[in-house]
Amino acid sequence: MKKRIDPKRMESIVLGIISFLSLLILWQTAIWITGTTRFPSPTTVIVRFFRALVEPIGPYTVIGHVAWSFSRVFVGYSLAALLGITLGLTMGWFPYVRAAFKPLFDLLRPIAPLAWIPLAILWMGIEEKSKYFLIFVASFVPFTLNAYAGSIKADRQLIGAAKMLGAKNNQLFFKIVVPSSVPQIFSGAQVALSNAWMTMLAAEMIRSSYGIGWVIIAGQQVNDMAQMIASMIAIGIVGFLLATGMRLLERRFLVWNNQGI
Amino acid sequence: MNRNAIVKVENLSKRFGDLLVLNDITFNVYKGEFLCIVGPTGCGKTTFLNSLTHLYEPTSGSILFQGEPVDLQKHNITYIFQEYSAMEWLTVRQNVRFGLEIKQQYDGIDKKVDDALELVGLKQFESYYPRQLSASMLQRVVIARAFATQPELLLMDEPYGQLDINLRFKLEDEVVRLCKQTNTTVVFITHNIEEAVYLGDRILVLTNKPTSIKEVIIDDFDRPRDITHPDFVEMRNRITDLIKWW
Repeated sequence: MKKRIDPKRMESIVLGIISFLSLLILWQTAIWITGTTRFPSPTTVIVRFFRALVEPIGPYTVIGHVAWSFSRVFVGYSLAALLGITLGLTMGWFPYVRAAFKPLFDLLRPIAPLAWIPLAILWMGIEEKSKYFLIFVASFVPFTLNAYAGSIKADRQLIGAAKMLGAKNNQLFFKIVVPSSVPQIFSGAQVALSNAWMTMLAAEMIRSSYGIGWVIIAGQQVNDMAQMIASMIAIGIVGFLLATGMRLLERRFLVWNNQGI
Repeated sequence: MNRNAIVKVENLSKRFGDLLVLNDITFNVYKGEFLCIVGPTGCGKTTFLNSLTHLYEPTSGSILFQGEPVDLQKHNITYIFQEYSAMEWLTVRQNVRFGLEIKQQYDGIDKKVDDALELVGLKQFESYYPRQLSASMLQRVVIARAFATQPELLLMDEPYGQLDINLRFKLEDEVVRLCKQTNTTVVFITHNIEEAVYLGDRILVLTNKPTSIKEVIIDDFDRPRDITHPDFVEMRNRITDLIKWW
């Protein structure tokens, strides 16, 4: 049987398209009215965007630059996920770990990732390591915080029930605390991904020879606004795809937590 | 009734700071019996059960299970709380399996899970998650999890307190049937006197704080029990008089 589209969903898609087209029309009209040459028209940007998909800017096409940026995010983000989730969960469950690490973490937490840039460059140079480090710092805090919140808020009733069944401390941790923290960890993963993606752009803009952040700076250096805006569109699309991917993963792994499953 | 004492409680007292909650309690629980404990609300019934399982350390006195101090990791004891304690990330089947895995009872685990699901009538819901179940089904999941482990002692702390009266009657009958079928020893805490008379083989009536045992009543009416029978009503009224504090 043919699947029917939910009218409300259809309505929101149509409204989204109308809003997007209105922006383009407004933009194009403003260009026509002002006759400015300092800002590219939407058609110029769209053409530039599609050209950048096949024609190299510097060493790579936009797809190649995005792939580089993505690989940097992947390394820093994965490492942050591994260490942040482990630290957060153990801080929440083991009082000694909490006593040892929580004050240190609370001190480092408010420092914005970008504040680490000068130190990262001095310590690790301008190549890949400093970018991995900055992305790691940007993702580590939300991963740790959310895993900690999930772990410390683990349902005491369920812990009590497992204890009454004879669960040992390690069973309580792995069979109750960890699984019950997963929704909170996914929330942290979303925030961490957004932070990682933004920090990657900043790091690439400061010093890099490739990557989507570098493409924007390269456009600025030759006063090519169409290139800059086309790169920003590419960043938006990748960000949207990553957030959507994360939501799909969440829906897949947290089927038990979805309303109305 | 087999009079082998499975639990021996002697001179149990529990104090929180200056507040004496349990005062010199002595009693036995016999193998295969359904022991109900009733008392006024707030008299310390849950403290009593938590002390029994060493969730709270008693201030004085001893609690022996099969002749040794209670050890939840060694002894096959299961506890059903008033609040639903199904793990929401596990399906019904996985929830029932959970207790067996914790107790590392892997022999014939699938059969035990199937039997427990059949007992509580949840076989066709085995792949559902707790969020998809009604209140009575959730409590039945917890009951199935408890019975799957074939506990030597089942502790129930007002397990039907949150259910409406129809569901409560249904689950009360179900739990009596299961306990008699599997010869499980049960300690059942409730403030509902009618429930205690309906379920129990013996009833321990507690006083207000500091809690001690006011009377032990043998409840040997034939099952299924008729709550309108004059003898039933008389026992219910007698217990009501015992726990009256007004």
